[in-house]
Amino acid sequence: MLMISPRMASGMQEKLYNPSLLSFFVYNPSFGPREGEEEKKILFYHPSDVEKNEKIRNVGLCEAIVQFTRTFCPTKPAKSLHTQKNRQFFFEAEDSFWIVMVVRNPWVEKTNKDGKPPTIEYQEEEILDTVYGAVLRQCYSMYKLFNGTFVRAMETGGVELLMQKLEKFFYRYLQTLHLQSCDLLDVFGGIAFFPLDKMTYLKIQSFVNRVEESLSLIKYTTFLYNDQLIWSGLEQDDMRILYKYLTTSLFPRHSEPELAGRDSPLRPEVAGNLLHYGRFLTGPANIKDPEAKFRFPRIFVNTKDSYEELHLIVYKAMSAAVCFMISASMELTREFCEQLDSLVGPQLTLLASDICEQYNVNRRISGPEKEPQFKFIYFNHMNLAEKSTIHMRKTASVSLTSVHPDLMKILGDINCDFARVDEDEEIIVKAMTDYWVVGKKSDQRELYVILNQKNANLIEVNEEVKRLCATQFNNIFFLD
Amino acid sequence: MDKDDNQEKGETEDIRSCDPPSVDPNLSTETDNCSKAECQNNSGDQPSTDPEQAPTENGHEDSGEFVVTMLARGKLEEQGVGMMGSCPPLSITGTSEGAPTHRDEDVMAESWRQHRKHVFVLSEAGKPIYSRYGSEEALSSTMGVMMALVSFVQSSDNTIRSVYSDGHTVVFMQKGPLVLVSVSSSRQSEQQLRGELLYVYYQIVSMLTQASITRIFENKKNYDLRRLLAGSEKILDGLLNLVDSDPSFLLAAVHCLPLASSLRDSLSQILQKAITPNLVFSILIAKNQLLTIVQEKTVIEDARLEPADVHLLLNLIGASSAFQAGEIWTPICLPLFNPDCYFYAYISYLDPPECTVCLLLLSTDKEAFYAVAECKRRIEEAMLTQSSLSLIAKAHCYSVSQVGVSDLRHFMYKPFDIPDHHKQLTQFTSPEMEAPYSTEEERRRLLDLYRHMHGRIHSSSRPLKLIYHVAERETLLAWVTSKFELYTCFSPLVTKACAINAITKLLRWIKKEEDRLFIRYPPKYSTTPNPSKTHDKNE
Repeated sequence: MLMISPRMASGMQEKLYNPSLLSFFVYNPSFGPREGEEEKKILFYHPSDVEKNEKIRNVGLCEAIVQFTRTFCPTKPAKSLHTQKNRQFFFEAEDSFWIVMVVRNPWVEKTNKDGKPPTIEYQEEEILDTVYGAVLRQCYSMYKLFNGTFVRAMETGGVELLMQKLEKFFYRYLQTLHLQSCDLLDVFGGIAFFPLDKMTYLKIQSFVNRVEESLSLIKYTTFLYNDQLIWSGLEQDDMRILYKYLTTSLFPRHSEPELAGRDSPLRPEVAGNLLHYGRFLTGPANIKDPEAKFRFPRIFVNTKDSYEELHLIVYKAMSAAVCFMISASMELTREFCEQLDSLVGPQLTLLASDICEQYNVNRRISGPEKEPQFKFIYFNHMNLAEKSTIHMRKTASVSLTSVHPDLMKILGDINCDFARVDEDEEIIVKAMTDYWVVGKKSDQRELYVILNQKNANLIEVNEEVKRLCATQFNNIFFLD
Repeated sequence: MDKDDNQEKGETEDIRSCDPPSVDPNLSTETDNCSKAECQNNSGDQPSTDPEQAPTENGHEDSGEFVVTMLARGKLEEQGVGMMGSCPPLSITGTSEGAPTHRDEDVMAESWRQHRKHVFVLSEAGKPIYSRYGSEEALSSTMGVMMALVSFVQSSDNTIRSVYSDGHTVVFMQKGPLVLVSVSSSRQSEQQLRGELLYVYYQIVSMLTQASITRIFENKKNYDLRRLLAGSEKILDGLLNLVDSDPSFLLAAVHCLPLASSLRDSLSQILQKAITPNLVFSILIAKNQLLTIVQEKTVIEDARLEPADVHLLLNLIGASSAFQAGEIWTPICLPLFNPDCYFYAYISYLDPPECTVCLLLLSTDKEAFYAVAECKRRIEEAMLTQSSLSLIAKAHCYSVSQVGVSDLRHFMYKPFDIPDHHKQLTQFTSPEMEAPYSTEEERRRLLDLYRHMHGRIHSSSRPLKLIYHVAERETLLAWVTSKFELYTCFSPLVTKACAINAITKLLRWIKKEEDRLFIRYPPKYSTTPNPSKTHDKNE
């Protein structure tokens, strides 16, 4: 077709603006079907200071787009709308409840000479639908984790309650979205697992069993070390969103005090007995203070069948963190917390140092880290296991990558290609910068490797990836 | 002269029919002819009547119908022979006769929804102009919705591009006063779908010129363009079928028939000698592939002929069996060359009734029919002397086995480093599709795979140099360098080493055969300076 030349450096002053959130809203068309009632459809709208008619118009556009696409396929309506300046993502979270996220396209502002106003150029092909579609779905999952479904809220307290919950949750949550750093990992929504030897794993399992037996109120337990998962009693879908919450919100909030030195005023009060380093991350900040009020966050799991509302107790000792989930119908008293603290604290502290020791031993044995040599991302759809040597430690703010964003987008493209068919495939591409990207899909697993070997040919690249697979992914990938 | 005009009109008004032009013309369509005449006349001093009420003055002398068939006296007998029932050979899919059923399709039915690619053309005022499947009337409310979506987004100082759902991609494109929409389940990239819509737009321009379209809608925003395009749905249908099945569109290049360079040279010389003032292009086509093209020197200095123009031309010719009748003299606009003026195309098949070899002579002078027809006679004579037709009949597309590489199933190769590249017609070469790509379904599937790779490699934001894709049924390699663009298809079990070897061998083979596979040095001729062209430039 008519070729469009790739972006070229213009030599003028250029300022690049990243993609950003323009608006985010929740609506249900059945709430205001008649003319004049349109406002009733809107259950949440950010930014809130937009004029009412403007909100109605924007919601109306979404409805029209969805309806229009139903003309061609009634069961698979629109997922996204592309315009010059922005992208809109549509998600029918629950029957007739739609969530829409509008993201502004990245744009470049070029200063002109002669005092002319700067020219604005929108980059329309930078955003990947799969990435931001996943981010949108995750917004819903996170809301649902802490608030339950829309339908239940309606049943409990009508539209008013639902609107309250939406407002309270999204007002804060949207501020934590960092759309400029979303990428393939958001598509996966995976979980990093902590590599363990069998012995230590069994120790952890028996610890969990013991605690669950002693405290029969506990319904589910999850065990993490160093922000990575070891054991979980929850269903996969619930675990993956809880994991995201823990690693991007809860843990980072509490990590600073721990990293501070012994004598730092930031260190939490470790009262009297130093039997253990355990403490509550949710609930009572200081177990010894009888006056302090506390509350555990409530989460909702298994929303598709048993629909359980639970207290989320997160308890940490050094780098080990355990979540205990107890039915919300129970009242959790100070006594209970003290009981848990004295039971779990010492054991967890011991366990944490055991794991640490074992981990160091393993690392010494296996020699210096070979991994940093290879930049790769691995994901297993079956257990949601994810590993990336490209991303630095994820925090609530930015997930730094050690490769150019364009390469991450190429990975995203390959992932889209893999999703088109069910069969195992391999896709190798050479980018304009001469970087090689290799994607392998085998049996529910995906592996992406980025090689900075400008003068290599296809065969050499293939050999490199074979080496990586042999060391890291023995027997997993079918090799050429 | 009048009677001839009536016959012409009879022919033009119903391109679909296979009736010889001597059948009674449909006189009630006279007004439409005259409107077309009005459009064609670019001189600017129009009678300022309401375009809906067609002025009758200009029509007759101007030969302004969209397709004017002028019949050379000696060829009248041949029409009966060439017309009935034969598939127009230049149309690959040969389904042009199916058009009438499309228009009657039930747009509410599941089968309508299941079409792989819908294309809609409407005016800015929301008036339907064309729909690939179903009648525009039945779809006018759907088209109204499309226009509403376009306007709505426009009202917030933004432009709608596309809508994605799991099954379909909807792509919007506005060109001047026309809005084109594609609804496709082919999973092609937006860039590609938009490129296809551009082809549709250009085909419409090739019939009306861009200047006319702009002027019509300036005068009257809700003009019904169908009045001018009546009977040409078949041409757009044919174009869309070709776009789906012919890789020339994807590659933006012309496919040449492999020919011994001596034969090609002798044909070129024949064309080079048969010229007349204002003749600009002489093109010889066989089996829908280019044999040779000879161009006027000064014209080609200014602007080159784009493959897209050639594709549009070939589609126009192939879309209707009416072109098989003797000689055709028709105005046609080459949109990429100059979207605002007409050329006059002399079209004649040299080998009735098979009609596989077509001669195309383009002139800028609309009165030059007889002079150009004379060129054709000289060409025909020379070809007879050299028995060119029988030699051409022996030429055919080659098999991939000729390359001598096992594992290689198919390829498409488009060179960039042809001599005089910036002025030459871009070409590509490709062998026959053989087993396992022997069914239409499998061929479409392979082409879809090529299309997908092409889309990735030429992405506007993250283009690539190379893609190697190992899939279940085949392994594909796409490669773009500064010298060429190559798409290859191997059996799925090929090793990377074998694939690399195969490609090296293939490139060597192509280099060896390049004089046979491509038109390397398109000859030129010089005719007297072109008054019409300069005249148009001053408009």
